[in-house]
Amino acid sequence: MRLTTMGIAGNFDTSIVGILATESLPPEQRSPTIRLLAPNETSTDESLSGYRAVLCHDALKSVPSVPYVHRLRESDHLKDGDIVVLEGNTGLVRSLYRPYELHHHLFVTERCNSNCLMCSQPPKDRDDVEALTERNLELINLIAPHPEYLTITGGEPTLLGDHLFKLISQLKLTMPETELHILTNGRTFAWPEYARRFAELGHPKISLGVPLYADFAGAHDHVVQARGAFDQTVAGLHQAARNGIRVEVRVVLHKLTIPRLTKLVDYIYHNLTFAEHVALMGLEYTGYTPRNIEELWIDPYDYQDELEEAVEYLAVRNMTVSIYNHQLCVLKPSLWRYARKSISDWKTLYLPECEQCSALPACGGLFQWAVKKHSDHIHAISLPQPSVAETCS
Amino acid sequence: MNQPESTGAPDAPHAVAEINLAIVSAEALLKACYWFSRDFTCEIRNRNEHVADVILTPRSAASASELAVAKDAFTTSAMDFALREKIEAKTSGIRDLLLAKAFSESGVLEDQPEGVFSDTVEEMKPDGMFKILSNPQH
Amino acid sequence: MARVFYPLERFAPAPAGFHLLPFRFTRLHGKELLVNEAGEFLFVPTGTVQSLTDEHLDTNTELYRDLKAKHFVYDDSSSPLLDILATKVRTKFDHMSGGTKLHIFVVTLRCEHSCDYCQVSRQTATRGEFDMSTATADRAIDMMMDSPAHAVTLEIQGGEPLLAFDVIQYIIPRAKKLAFEKGKDLDIVVCTNLACVTDDILKYFRDEGVRVSTSLDGPAFLHNKNRPRPGHNSYEKAIEGIERSRAMLGMESVAALMTTTAASLDYAAEIVDEYVRREFHSIFLRPISPYGFAIKTHHRTGYEMERFLDFYKQGLAHILKVNRGGYRIAEVYTQILLAKILTPHGTRYVDMQSPAGEAWSVLVYNYDGDVYASDESRMLAEMSDWTFRLGNVHKDTRRTLFTGEPALQMFHASCNQSLAGCSDCAFQSYCAADPVYHHATQGDMYGHRPTSGFCARNMGVIKGLFSIIEENDRETMRILWSWVTGETAIKEVVECV
Repeated sequence: MRLTTMGIAGNFDTSIVGILATESLPPEQRSPTIRLLAPNETSTDESLSGYRAVLCHDALKSVPSVPYVHRLRESDHLKDGDIVVLEGNTGLVRSLYRPYELHHHLFVTERCNSNCLMCSQPPKDRDDVEALTERNLELINLIAPHPEYLTITGGEPTLLGDHLFKLISQLKLTMPETELHILTNGRTFAWPEYARRFAELGHPKISLGVPLYADFAGAHDHVVQARGAFDQTVAGLHQAARNGIRVEVRVVLHKLTIPRLTKLVDYIYHNLTFAEHVALMGLEYTGYTPRNIEELWIDPYDYQDELEEAVEYLAVRNMTVSIYNHQLCVLKPSLWRYARKSISDWKTLYLPECEQCSALPACGGLFQWAVKKHSDHIHAISLPQPSVAETCS
Repeated sequence: MNQPESTGAPDAPHAVAEINLAIVSAEALLKACYWFSRDFTCEIRNRNEHVADVILTPRSAASASELAVAKDAFTTSAMDFALREKIEAKTSGIRDLLLAKAFSESGVLEDQPEGVFSDTVEEMKPDGMFKILSNPQH
Repeated sequence: MARVFYPLERFAPAPAGFHLLPFRFTRLHGKELLVNEAGEFLFVPTGTVQSLTDEHLDTNTELYRDLKAKHFVYDDSSSPLLDILATKVRTKFDHMSGGTKLHIFVVTLRCEHSCDYCQVSRQTATRGEFDMSTATADRAIDMMMDSPAHAVTLEIQGGEPLLAFDVIQYIIPRAKKLAFEKGKDLDIVVCTNLACVTDDILKYFRDEGVRVSTSLDGPAFLHNKNRPRPGHNSYEKAIEGIERSRAMLGMESVAALMTTTAASLDYAAEIVDEYVRREFHSIFLRPISPYGFAIKTHHRTGYEMERFLDFYKQGLAHILKVNRGGYRIAEVYTQILLAKILTPHGTRYVDMQSPAGEAWSVLVYNYDGDVYASDESRMLAEMSDWTFRLGNVHKDTRRTLFTGEPALQMFHASCNQSLAGCSDCAFQSYCAADPVYHHATQGDMYGHRPTSGFCARNMGVIKGLFSIIEENDRETMRILWSWVTGETAIKEVVECV
């Protein structure tokens, strides 16, 4: 589903964060909200005061006194309760939070100290930390209802330094029940002082999701395009564990990680025994991946033996393992029980073949960009419903 | 060549393993004899400064083929102990360090890691996070 | 700034040279088996050790990468991650932290059985003389709770402890009270032949949360042969006792241990089948310990270690067959060794530790207050050998027990890392030291490895397990892993006769 749209902005040149209101609100309830006017809805200046801003699909009949963005390119993706940010300089309207979604993310920076060949969020070397932190602090205050889980992602969140600590502290204060998961390359945690300070934040429900792509440095460093990354990541995971920070290890499955996959999980078992979960993830055809596709692409159907061996390896040792971003039709049935519906709602797509598939309710589907590149073996499964459900549980 | 004193019935069935003393030290040789001492008496006779003969006399009846097997096994064992000595020589320092770290109450994982973790933006800051973390004030 | 992608060579140049990390090796099944300092192993082609030592190994090979990932070598292209390796070494010894966890109380020497292999003198049934006094019990409980361990196990033994049930009833509430005051977890188990168990005794155990461990040597003919008692009905009594105990305490609270005698050696499958018939989910194929009456009656119970190894292998094969057929039962000795071989952890089983479990992991408080380093140490005392008597609860503190001459002498011989034969052994990380065993069988705490029954047994079993590991049959490994992870229930192993 759409994340951004553009319009013409007026009355402000900063960023405004607010909750969308599609109906008029009494004045005392207006202060955290942005009034979204439907097409053809008319209004006067008086009825708009007190809102943080006004959004209008059409052109506003008169200039309001509050900040506004009108003449939106699209607006049917905007719903009541969504939290958006408006950019006064550009007229950009970005959706930050949708209460009705299953998965929620807090995006904290585009900066990154790695440059993974298959990065789905290619980094930018521009310091956006101050601006995004300010925006995110406001976002945290507005989020309602509080979600069960929240993923903090980037870029590389630890590059925020103290700002990340500020965000986590604010989350601990406003929604201590929300479980936080930080997607990080873990490298910064190799510095003992950093791991200590992170642990001292004392957030009761926090874990790190850290990728590891090989059991030896050269191969991992090549995938993440950073020398010393493997050493720092492994040391970082140890420092985190030593300070009582929960960790999960993630592996993106592609041509560079499949050949030694079982050896990698063996390495995780012996050296990162404290990892509470191992996530084996399908490749996303977005970001850098199309550029590097020759080096990366292997049809998931063709690596099922390696995947099964690695999953079984972990399962008999009682390590929790999940498979993300794979369609059930390309997975061996013995692996269905490990497959999770992991694709963020705004990214999910099903192909025409999927319409007849009896496993559709249990399947996570594909990424939107999979239209351009997906397994040659997507096909409808025709098994009776109960046996699909059984196999998946 | 010295004529050694005979130590037992000269014609009891036995095997003779030839050992290259340039490769196998006395210590390594003794270790091999130690392991074979359950089933054999081992008598070491230095043929010269480079070669020793080890006479393996079985403690209970043994066939000719069993003796041949024992001779090969002994030679392999002696060579393996020589290898172990080399490995120990190359690794004893790092082993001591490893065990010291393993059993110290602190000191493990207190070292600063190698390399940098910063991106180009961070590198350009004079008081960037990386620099602060590398010089922790305690 | 535009970011550029770099090829593999920039990150993984084949290094010019490499350095060795410490490891041990042996030859097995036409290959070389390497074991690193943290007990991780790797099978490699014959000749690899030579090329490692000569530094001729080609670094641009999968073999080199395997060796690097498994911490056998390192090079200048990346960190040796010594701290990680050190952490792994430490993890192997985690069981040691916290001090002595197993405390065995010998509440009486009286017993109505006269088992050939018994490690206790046969006494008449008069009460008092060979029972633990309340004063001794008090001091022993204090000593136990003085251990720094957060969780301790109180194991009540004899003779036949139920003959001194009043002593048990004295000890348990006092132990619980002190455990509560000190914030310790307390696990209580009674080792009994169950021949004289009553409903009242079982009710008491149920109410106090006490587990029971009993002896079941196999089918009736074998059990009765091993364990004579007046009436020749040890087996029937044992089965009846097991059923009554299970009814009162629950299946999980009743465990059975077997002892292997010369008579047992031809009946591996039958013994296993008996355990299956009785619905047990673990069986411990343990060899007879060469102490007490066993040494005296050697001609009836002695046997070559090779015969035991045959028995063990047949037993294990049969157990695996039973598992494949759908009945889950684990073999405990295998589980202990596999945990050491396959997982990052050590073991809590006191007889398979290095440093040896004597005193570090277990202490035995005899009825008269004498404190011994292990059950076997007490058995030697029955034959007037007090080498391993550490002290007495009425005269010593925990500190003086551990710093007295007997303890210090024993500690010198307790680390297989420094024993002749063991210091080079590839299986060092998986094996153990046992100064008491070697003193009893060879007259020397340090032991003579080539003629050591302890060595022969462990080496034989370990080699056999590596065969199985190398074969890597999927179903077999799944079964074995279910033992290791405890999915197939392994009760906390206790040392009972």
